[in-house]
Amino acid sequence: MRVLVTGAAGFLGRHVVAEATARGHRVRALVRPAAGPALPAELAHELVEPARADLRAARGLDEVLAGVDVVVHTAASKSGDMYAQYAGTVVATENLLGAMDRAGVRAIVAISSFSVYDFGARWAWSRLDEASAVERDTRRRDEYCHTKLAQERLIRAHASARGWRCVTLRPGVIWGRGNLWTARLGARGERTWLRIGALAPLPLTYVENCAQAVVLAAERIGPAGTPEQGPAAAPREGLDLVLNVVDDERPPQARYARAVRAIEAPGARAVLIPWRVVLALAWAAVATNRAILGGRAKLPGVLVPARVHARFKPLRYDNTRIRRELGWRPRYRFAEALARVAAPPALSTGSGEAR
Amino acid sequence: MSSSARSPWRVPEPAPPSHEPAVPGPAAACAPAAPPARRALRAAVVGTGKISEEHLRFLSRRPGATAVAVCDLSPALAAFAAERAGGGAKPYTDLQAMLERERPDVAHVLTPPHTHVEIAARCLRAGAHVIVEKPAAPTLAELDGLLELARDRARRLVENHNYRFNRPVRRIEDALEAGRLGLVREVEVRLCLSIRARGGRYADENLPHPSHGLPAGVVQEFLTHLCYLALRFLPGEPDRVRARLENAGGGAPFKFDELDALVDAGPARARLRFCCRQWPEGFTLTVRGTRGTAEADLFQPWVGLMVPRRGGKQLTPVVNQWRRGAGLMGASLANFWRKVMQVTPYEGLETFLAQTYDALERGSEPPVREEDMRRAARLIDALASPENRL
Repeated sequence: MRVLVTGAAGFLGRHVVAEATARGHRVRALVRPAAGPALPAELAHELVEPARADLRAARGLDEVLAGVDVVVHTAASKSGDMYAQYAGTVVATENLLGAMDRAGVRAIVAISSFSVYDFGARWAWSRLDEASAVERDTRRRDEYCHTKLAQERLIRAHASARGWRCVTLRPGVIWGRGNLWTARLGARGERTWLRIGALAPLPLTYVENCAQAVVLAAERIGPAGTPEQGPAAAPREGLDLVLNVVDDERPPQARYARAVRAIEAPGARAVLIPWRVVLALAWAAVATNRAILGGRAKLPGVLVPARVHARFKPLRYDNTRIRRELGWRPRYRFAEALARVAAPPALSTGSGEAR
Repeated sequence: MSSSARSPWRVPEPAPPSHEPAVPGPAAACAPAAPPARRALRAAVVGTGKISEEHLRFLSRRPGATAVAVCDLSPALAAFAAERAGGGAKPYTDLQAMLERERPDVAHVLTPPHTHVEIAARCLRAGAHVIVEKPAAPTLAELDGLLELARDRARRLVENHNYRFNRPVRRIEDALEAGRLGLVREVEVRLCLSIRARGGRYADENLPHPSHGLPAGVVQEFLTHLCYLALRFLPGEPDRVRARLENAGGGAPFKFDELDALVDAGPARARLRFCCRQWPEGFTLTVRGTRGTAEADLFQPWVGLMVPRRGGKQLTPVVNQWRRGAGLMGASLANFWRKVMQVTPYEGLETFLAQTYDALERGSEPPVREEDMRRAARLIDALASPENRL
C-alpha cells in the first residue's frame, strides 16, 4: 500500500511513518518546505519518500498525491490565533481534499481529537464514547476545538459526498518522549505545578500505540484490506467510521502526574486544587462578568466553565469500538511505555524495531 | 486647501441598477429637517483574516449598514466569517459572483496587500464604494489609477488610516489646535514590532507572506501608518527624504526589516522608525512644537504633554514630570481595564469606519480624503526609492 502521511515530521506523524514502514507499506512523507535537511530518523527508511509542500497553499499538491492509495492526515496547527489555526488546519485540509479529488485518491484517515466532544453536557463519571455529542458551541471553547471540529466535519462531508472510505480517529491525550505534559493536569510553572484534580481517569494513548491504530485504520480502507483479514475486508465505497483512540489503561491524573514529574521535573512542587473548586470559581467569574461587565470581559481559560469541563471533569472511557473495528490491541502497556520514554532515545525510534 | 472645496463628489451618483440609490444626492444631503429614511448600506467583506473581525463587528453595530456577504478563497473561512457576521451574510468564494449577485454598496477589501489593486478595481467597476486596508496600492501610480477609476464610476475609494482616529492622536490634534504646542518643528513616529519572532506569520519560511514582495518588503505594509501620522502633523509637504532600509535580521524571507528615515518639510522634520525585532512591541508618536511637546503611546494608550505650566520657568519641568507620572499611573489602570474588556489598539478603526459610513450616506467628503491617500503614497514611494537611500 502507498500511504501519504501529512505532518510526517510531527510528533504523531513520524511515529505513523515508522509504523507504516515496519508493516511494509511505502510512505510518502509530507513535510513543510522549510523543514531542515535533517529530517526525523523515522523518515530515513528505504520505503520512505520525503516530499515538501505546505498544505496552506494549494499549489504543488498534485504531485504529492500522485500514485497514493491512502492519505493519513495528521497535519494541523496547534498554536497561534484562530486565523493561524484555521489556515494550518482547515484551509490546509481544504487544499488536501481538492488535490485528492484531482488525483483520484478515495481513502483518508483523518486525525481528529477528543477535544471535539461536548464535555459540559455529560455527568461526571459518565461514559464518553463515539456516540457522545460533539461540542455545540465552539466559541466557548478554544481555537483548537473549533478548528479540529471544523476540519473533521469538512473531511467527513467531503468524503461522504464522494463515496470515499474515511476513518476519523479521535485520539485522547497522545503522549510520549518530549510530549508528556497535558493541560488536563493543570498549569505548570518552572518550580511549581498547579494541579487541578487528582482522580479523573486520563484518556491517554501512547504515541506508538496511537500510530499503530492509525496504520490499522489505513489498512482497513486501503486497497488490500488488513493483512489479517485480506482484501475482502476492504470496503470499496462509502465507509465513514469514527473511532476514539485510548489505550487499555487510563491512569488517574495523580498517577500520571507523578510519572511525569519523576521524568521531567523531580524537584517540582505540586499544589492540588479540586476541580469542582475551579469550576465554582469559573462560574462565579462568569456571573460577575455578566452582572457587572455585561459579559464583555475576557476571562482566562481556567475560568471558562466549558474549558474546565473539557480538561478536568472525571469521565470514563473505553476502546471497545476501535478494538472491534480495527482489531487494535495497544502494543505497550502504560508501564512499558513509561520505560520507553525514560530509556535512551535509540530504543524508541521506530515501533518496528521493538517487535 | 480643503479638498472638499474642489471635490468631484458633490456630483449626484447614478443609482445602482437594481436598488434604491446607495448614496443620496446633494438635494437629500442638504435637506434641512426630517431627511428621507435611507435604506441600510449593503456591505461586503472581501478577505476574512483577523482584521475582518473588526470590520464585521463594526457592521453588526452600525444601524445604517448590513453585512450581506463575505468572500474568501477558502470556503471554510468564508463560511466561518459569515457565521460570525450573523444577520444573514452569505459566504462566497468567487468575487465576481458575489459582486453580481449581492451588488454591495460598499466593499471592504481586507485581502493581502498585493491583491488590493485588482480587487478594489473589480469592486469599483461593480458599482461599490471601496474601503481598503493599507496600503491601497503598492505605488502612487497604481493608487492614482484606482482613484481615477473611482472618479469615473462616481464611487469612493477610502484607505484605512485607522490610527489617525485613535484617542491619543486626537488628543494631540486638540492640543495643537488649542495652540498649546505652538508651531510643529519635529514629528517622530516609531513602530517596533516582534514580527520576526519564530512562529509569526511574517517570519513563516514555509509560506512567505505576500508583503515580502512589496517594493520595501514587509516594511511597506506598515509604512502607511507611519506616513499618514507624520503627514498629519508636518506643517508642509516633504521636500527631502532620506531613508535607510536594511535587513538587519538577515536572510529570507525578509527583504528589509528595519527603516530609519528623515523627512524634511520646510522648517520641520519627521523621523520615522520601523523595526521587526522588538519585544515588548511599541507604537509611539511624538510631536514637538515651538511651545511644547506631546508624546503618545498608541498600543498602551497614553498622552503626555510637556508645555509651559503655572509655576514659571523654574517649576514647569517639575510640574510636567508630576503630571506625566500621574498620567502614566492612570493610564496603566485604564489599560489593564481595556485589556480585560478586550479593547484593542484598533479602537480608531471603529471611528474611521463610522465617519466613512456617515460620509457615504450623506455623499460628503470621507474622513480620509483622496489627497490624504496620495500624500501618504507619495511619501512611501520616496522612502522606498533607491535614490533616497542613506
